[in-house]
Order: sequence, then structure tokens, then C-alpha cells
Amino acid sequence: MNNFLLSALIFLPIAGSVIVLLLPSTYRDSFRWISLIVSVINLLNIFSLYNNFDQQLSNYQFVEQHEWIRMSLGNLGVLSIDYLLGVDGINMPMVLLSGIVLLIGSISSFTIEYRNKAFHSLYLLLSGSIIGCFVSLDFFLFFLFFEFMLLPMYFLIGIWGGERREYAAIKFFIYTLVGSILILIVMIGLSMSVKDTFFSQEMGRTVHTFDFRQLTDFKNYIPHSILHPIDKQMVFGISARLFAFILLIIGFGIKLPSVPFHTWLPDAHVEAPTPVSVVLAGILLKVGAYGFIRIAYGFFPDIAFQFTYIIAGAGVVSIIYGAFNALAQEDLKKMIAYSSISHMGFVLLGLASLTVEGVNGAIYQMFGHGLVSAMLFLVAGVIYDRTHNRLIENFRGLSSAMPYFTFAVAVAFFGALGLPTLPGFMGEFFTILGGFQSGILPNWVSMLAMLGIVLSAAYFLWTLQKMFFGKFWVNRNMEGNMKDLDFREIIMLYSLSALSIIFGIFPNLIFDISGQTVKAFLNVF
Amino acid sequence: MLEKLTHILFSSRVLLPDLLFGVVFLVIVAAIAFSQKLDAERTYVLINVLIISVLISLGFVFYAFFGFYTQYLESGSVLFGKLIYLDSIGLYFKLIISIASVSVLIHVWVVGYKVVGEFYAMFVALVWGLFIMTMTTNWLMLYVSLEMVSVCSYILVVFNKGKDNSEAGIKYLLFGASSSAIMLYGISLLYGMTGSLNFVGQEFATFLGQNPSWIVQITVFMTIGGLLFKLSAVPFHSWTPDVYEATPTPIVAFLSIAPKAAVIIVLIRLFSSLNIDFRMILAVIIMASIAIGNFSALWQTNTKRMLGYSTIAHAGFMLVGLLATNTIGIQSTIFYITTYGFITLAAFLLIDLLALKTESYELESLQGLGQENIFLGLAAVIIMIALVGLPPTVGFTGKLLLFTSLWGSYQTSGSNMLLVVLIFGLLNSAISMFYYIKIPYYMIFKESKIGVRRSQIGFIRNGFLLIFLFFIIYLFFSPSGLLNLIETLKLV
Repeated sequence: MNNFLLSALIFLPIAGSVIVLLLPSTYRDSFRWISLIVSVINLLNIFSLYNNFDQQLSNYQFVEQHEWIRMSLGNLGVLSIDYLLGVDGINMPMVLLSGIVLLIGSISSFTIEYRNKAFHSLYLLLSGSIIGCFVSLDFFLFFLFFEFMLLPMYFLIGIWGGERREYAAIKFFIYTLVGSILILIVMIGLSMSVKDTFFSQEMGRTVHTFDFRQLTDFKNYIPHSILHPIDKQMVFGISARLFAFILLIIGFGIKLPSVPFHTWLPDAHVEAPTPVSVVLAGILLKVGAYGFIRIAYGFFPDIAFQFTYIIAGAGVVSIIYGAFNALAQEDLKKMIAYSSISHMGFVLLGLASLTVEGVNGAIYQMFGHGLVSAMLFLVAGVIYDRTHNRLIENFRGLSSAMPYFTFAVAVAFFGALGLPTLPGFMGEFFTILGGFQSGILPNWVSMLAMLGIVLSAAYFLWTLQKMFFGKFWVNRNMEGNMKDLDFREIIMLYSLSALSIIFGIFPNLIFDISGQTVKAFLNVF
Repeated sequence: MLEKLTHILFSSRVLLPDLLFGVVFLVIVAAIAFSQKLDAERTYVLINVLIISVLISLGFVFYAFFGFYTQYLESGSVLFGKLIYLDSIGLYFKLIISIASVSVLIHVWVVGYKVVGEFYAMFVALVWGLFIMTMTTNWLMLYVSLEMVSVCSYILVVFNKGKDNSEAGIKYLLFGASSSAIMLYGISLLYGMTGSLNFVGQEFATFLGQNPSWIVQITVFMTIGGLLFKLSAVPFHSWTPDVYEATPTPIVAFLSIAPKAAVIIVLIRLFSSLNIDFRMILAVIIMASIAIGNFSALWQTNTKRMLGYSTIAHAGFMLVGLLATNTIGIQSTIFYITTYGFITLAAFLLIDLLALKTESYELESLQGLGQENIFLGLAAVIIMIALVGLPPTVGFTGKLLLFTSLWGSYQTSGSNMLLVVLIFGLLNSAISMFYYIKIPYYMIFKESKIGVRRSQIGFIRNGFLLIFLFFIIYLFFSPSGLLNLIETLKLV
């Protein structure tokens, strides 16, 4: 049974998507339940995956491998593409996060009435591709799912979004597509530079592979190939591997997003409907970070080591720049979007430190930020649903009118700003600790990152104070609408709050999983 | 004398299926000449008979060729005193052309174009010309077949007899005539240099090598001018948008694949025997085609015109495999043109089906169509992302193969130019996304205007489109069969 678990995670949502598409529109009430049931089953499967995950192993588990495409390339050999899935300490937390956030997203999309058949069909398709992207261990398969997330996302933002949805959707699409094309170039180069030693001997021809496990091993590189680690081939006057690494960090930097490639994010987040924002911030940004760890750092450790300053610099600039931008926003959702940029900067910092603490902290930060940002966007959604307005200045003293809501908001805000016992703290603490311990990075880099925490405390507390404390006041025409949370919203926000507190108090739930893999991962540096 | 006669008799027997086309052409012309005075009902019957005869003759070609296959095609056979080479790669391209022509005939039928009998006569002659083009390695024979294709295309383009139509026809004629003239000039220079009309022979290559490289490059560039015109590659592309906009859609669909396939095989034959380094000029042609095609398409508001520019860009992509100058480059070009055939035929069928609903080819008129008919919306998304080259469509596999072969060539030669073409080409597909997505964008995102009358599409039309969609997706998930077939093809 365990052998099919990962495939089931991918194909159950895709099958659900097809079922929703094929059902006639008269069943419109059932679509949301199909989407919910699929997400619940997926989450249960992920829990069983999590339980059976062997924390002592550093290599891939639950591996599924099937030969998929063998393309003969004439005298260049054979291009071998496998259907290859597996989890290790790096993607297991991401799969767990996806399960949780996708379930929350599907509960949140219960309120979608406008063309809900298409919505749930696309949502399920997106769910399948996200999980597929995290668990695939073949570069081709990874790229397939990576691209395949774009289309559903484009339509989800473009049809159900806010006023400037079309602009935001196409901007998101073009940005990410450019990024993925850069990744594609590196993918072609890597596969042409690497051979599968075992199969090459067996078949008597060079077998080019996309297998992640083969790509990380320098022994498999073909001598004199462009991306060979020792042969030092040059491209346009710079080292070929350096060039490939730059393409990758731009590609994944767009997805992450890191300053200066972040400008699509505020637009996409502000225009996207609440469930899509939740998925976008909760999971999709982590795909970029995951690509950084698995692909850019995993395949180019020699270059990544030289790039420590640039990656850490991009991280710190994202932290500070995102935080200052968030400070200046009047729109609640836009503020949260910029805070996302700021918090994803810590992932880069932790990764660049190349210490056990830093990389573990980066993975934890990805997980924790996934939970917290999902909550933050739900909070913005709650306010927007009631008033169709998101300007911070329009609300004051909401705590007296909406006490349950205020509690959830407090958990989310404090979680994001890094209060101990909540997830934001552990991630930021460990990434900054990693930064200090790293022998390469100067201390002032980490100190600047700490400034980011102070700034995030400033804008979150300020917003909390302005919107929730004091005397109750809202714009006159919205007064009647300020009802407290309904049952559905309580389930979403409070379960996320509970999870945040659990994972905040017991960070080992994630560290235990990622620990061994990260240790092995750092061995090559 | 007797020997020659036996050779000619033998050649005619092998080429019997092709010669049948000539017979069908004459029969159709004769039938039309006598049917002028028939009443409407009997003309209709006649036209149906004509369609069936064309289809049957196409079928016969393949029946006959597969019968001959084991006997003659293994090593290829030389016919008509080296004027015609019949080999498996030529046969494969005939297959592409035939699939295109059958599907275009079905397209004409399902969409319900009212065509007169001459259409079929011209169409048969056009297909015949293309068939000859796939088999020839002789400059004169090539020129004759190319002109045959051109003349038939000129007539087919102006078949509607509208005002725009004649303008486009004249443009097509003038550009075509001048590029033919340039080509003829190039051929005469090449003949002067080598004294040989056969461009795959040893002596051609040897004598060509004795001339200064730059003269040979310019001459070859002029010679392939006529071919690039058919391929609508820069700098011979300027007729494309006008002709595509004004011509009946099935004919455009045919022009966007069949002549290009025939040109590609001639280029494959030419470049695999040419021993000069032609990559610089080819790289410039490729990059200019991709860039001009894509950037001009960005501003278009008419779907057919937009697809016209898109074929210019795709002409550039088709040449990428030839730039790689390795075996896989040729194989991936063949793969690309096969799959592009499915995609482009589907794209033109789609916009024709949409035009049935809206009676217009303007992007604006597509508003809300995808919301009304989910199947068409989905089809538009699949076809357009296939044109961009995104997974999970075969457009991605084709581009992946092309650029993989280019990378392989770069790895062995170390020429940075190839890497520039690779990065440039791939980044351009991101730009092309911007205009391709407009079709599904208008169909799905925009609300339809109230009061627009929309007719139903019908089962047969949807089914026909579905066949193409099936191939576009199926070949992504399992390209091995097609690739193995392509690998067995051999040049003479």
C-alpha cells in the first residue's frame, strides 16, 4: 500500500478535478464537498506518510520509480525520463504543509458561488500539481508539475480575482513563465551533462538522466561536458556552472519571491480571492524556496558556496525592503503580501549560512510561514467578505465587536512577528542563529535581519492596535456587517491557530524530520 | 536506348501512385468542364464524388507505398535518371502532407465551406507538387515542383474572390515570384560553380568547396530563398499575415503545414550534403524569424493574422534542429514538424469553429465563448499552450528535443552562438505566451455581450477537434512510438 501513497496524493485530486468537470452543473452544491473530501483524504494520507517516515534515514523514502519515456538522441545517447517520486527530510515538511493548507483552502472556498464547478475543478488540479511538484525526484517530472501549477493559478486569479485581476493574472503568469524557462535551460544542460552510469553500461549507450539522485552525484558527470564540476567550461567568459546557477537563482527567486523579482507578488496576492491567496502564500512561495534548496544548492554546491554573500544579501534585502514596504501599506492584504516577502527572506538567509541550524531553520521557517500566512490571508478575507473593503484606516476597535476573530488575529499576527511559542519565532531564531554561526557570513548581516524582526513587530502591532483596539468604529455604511466569525471561519482560523501553537511549542515535529537529511545535505559543502 | 526505356518504365511503375494524382487532376478538370451546365443538385453530387476520388487516391498512394516499402525503401531507390529519389524519409513526409490534406478536406466539409470543383483540381495538383518536392534532389526538378506548388497556392488563395482576397493574392504572387527569381539566380550560380544539378552528389560538394566560402554562403542563401518563402521565414515572411488573414481558413491551415514540411525535407537533404559552415546565416534567420514573428503578433487583434505571425516564429523553431547539424537535430526537426502539424491544424480548425459562432475572426468577438461552451474553452487552452510549448502538450516535447539537440551540438562544438540561439529561442516562448493566451483569455475571462446569437457547434465538428487534441496530449505522454519511427528513417 505504501508504495502507492505518493501517487495517490497526486492523482486523487486530479481525478477529483476530472470528476467535478464531468458532473453536470446542476450538482453545483456537491462540488465543494468533493473538493473537501478529497482534501481530507489527502491530509489523512499525509499523516500516515508522516507517521511512517523514518527519521533516522537521510535518503529518500517511499520511492516509486517507473520508466516513463526513453527518447533516443542518436549519437548523443538516450534521454531517460522516469516517473520517480519520493520524500526525504526536505520535502516531507512541505508535503505536510501542503496537505494542511490545501484543506484550509478548500474549506475557505465554500463561499465561492460564481461558477463554482470550474473553481473547484481548477483548485483540485492545482492541489495535485503542488503535491506532485514537491514529491517528484525527476527533474522533468518536477518541471512538468512546476509549469502545470501556472495554468490553474492563472485562471483562479484571473476569473475569481478582484478588480485588476486580469492584469495581476497575466503578470503572475509571465513572470513565473520567464523563471521556469530559465530553469528549463539549466534542466536541458544538466541532463546532457549527466549520465546514468549503471544503465549506460547496461545499454552500451550514454543514458542521460533527470534523476535527482544522479544529478547530485559528481561522479555521474560526463567528462568534458559543459556543466562538469571540475572541467571548468566557460560560457560567455564566465564559468558554465556559475552561469547555470545564476539562471536557477533568478528562476526560483521569481517564484520565492526575492527582491528584485518580487513585483508580481503584491498584485497577485491583492487581486486573488481568499482561498487562492491562502494557497499562493501558504504553499506556492515554498515551491521557490524548495527549488533553491533541492536544485540550486543540491546540484551546484560548489557555486552555492561562492554565492553565499549574494544569497544572504538577497535574503536580507528582502527582509528589510519587504518590511519597510509593509510598514507603508494602507491596504491590509497588501501589507500581508509584503510581510510574506520579508519573511521568505529569512529562508534565503538560513540557507546561505550553510549551517545545520540555518538550513533546518529555513525549512522550519517555510513550514511555519505557510501556516501563519495562510491565517493572515484568511483574516484579510474575513474582513473583506464582510465589508468589501480592506483599508486599515476604516476599522477601529474591532475587538469589542468580534472577540473570537480578534483572538485568531492575535495568534496570526504574533505568530508572524516572532513571539516565542509561535512558529515565526523558531524559524527566525534558527535562521539568524545559523547566520551568526556561519563562518563565512559577517555578523552584521544577521544583525540587519534582526532589524527586520523589529520592523515586522512594528507593522503588525501597529495594525493590531489601529484596527482592533480602542473604541469600536467603522465607516458608517459598514457598521451592520461586522458580525463575528461563523462556524466555518472558526474551524479554519482556530485549527490553524492550534497547529501554529503546537508546531511552535514542539518545533521538533519538523526538526526531527529534516535533521538527518540536512546533515547529509551539508556534507558536500 | 532500351536500357533507358526500361529504367523509365521501372520508375513509372514505382511511382504509379504519384502518377495517379496526375490522372485524378485531369479527370477532375474534365469532369468540371462538362458539368458547367448541370443543375445545382447534380453539381453537389459531383463535388462529393470528387472529394471521394481525392481521398481514395491518397489512400491508394499509401497502400501502394507500404506494399513497395520492403522492396525499394530500405536503401532508397533512384528513379528517372537521378531526378527522383524515393527513400523512407521522403515517404514519411508524404505521410505528413497526406494527413494534412485529408484533414483539410474534412475541415472544408465539416465547417461547410461552399467550394467549386476547381478547388479540388488545384488541391490535387498542389499535393502532387508537394509529393514531388519530397522526393527530389535535383535543382531543376525542385524548381519545377516548387513552382507547381506556388501556382496552385496562388490560385487557392484567391478562391474567395473578395477584395481583401485579391489584394492578398497579388501580394503573395509578387513576393512569390521575386523569391522564385532569387532562387533561380542562386541555382544558376551554383550550377556555374559546380557543373552539377544534383545537390546531394559528391561532385557538387567537392566543386562547391573550391569556391570562396562567403560567395558560397551568399549563393546558398539566395538559393534557399524560394524555400524560405514557403516556410515564411524572415526575410521572406512579409506576405504571411496578409495572406493568412484574407484566405479561407482550411487553405491557410494547409499552407501552414504541408508546404513547410516539404521545404524542411529539401533543407534537410541540402544541409546534410553541404560541406560549408552555414550556421551563422541560419542562426540569424532563426532569431530574426522568432523575434519578428513573436513581437509582431503581440499587437494583433485578428486571430488569423496572429496565427500568421505565430507561424513565422514557428518557422524559426523548425530550423533550430538544422542548426544543430547532428542526427538528433534532424530527427527532432522531423518530430517537431509532425507535431506542429497536429497543433496548427487544430488551431485553425478551432478558430474556424469559433468563427462559426461569431462570424468574425476578431479577438473581441470571442468574448464569453469559453464560458458558454466549456469544451471549446478547454480546447483553446490546450492548443494555445501547445503552441507556446508548455507541458503537458506535445509542443513542449518538440521544443525540448530541438533545444536538447542544440545543446548537444553546443557541447561538441563549443560555439557560443548556439547557446545564444538556445536562450533566445526559449525566452521568446515566454513572450509568445502573452499573445497566445489572449484567445482563451477573451473566451473565458470576458463576459459575452448580451444579445449575441450563438449557434451550436455540433457533434461531428467537436469530435474532429477532439482527435487533434487527443494527439496533442497523447504524444506528450508517450512520444516513444513516433520517435522510434523517425529514428528508422534514412536519407539516401
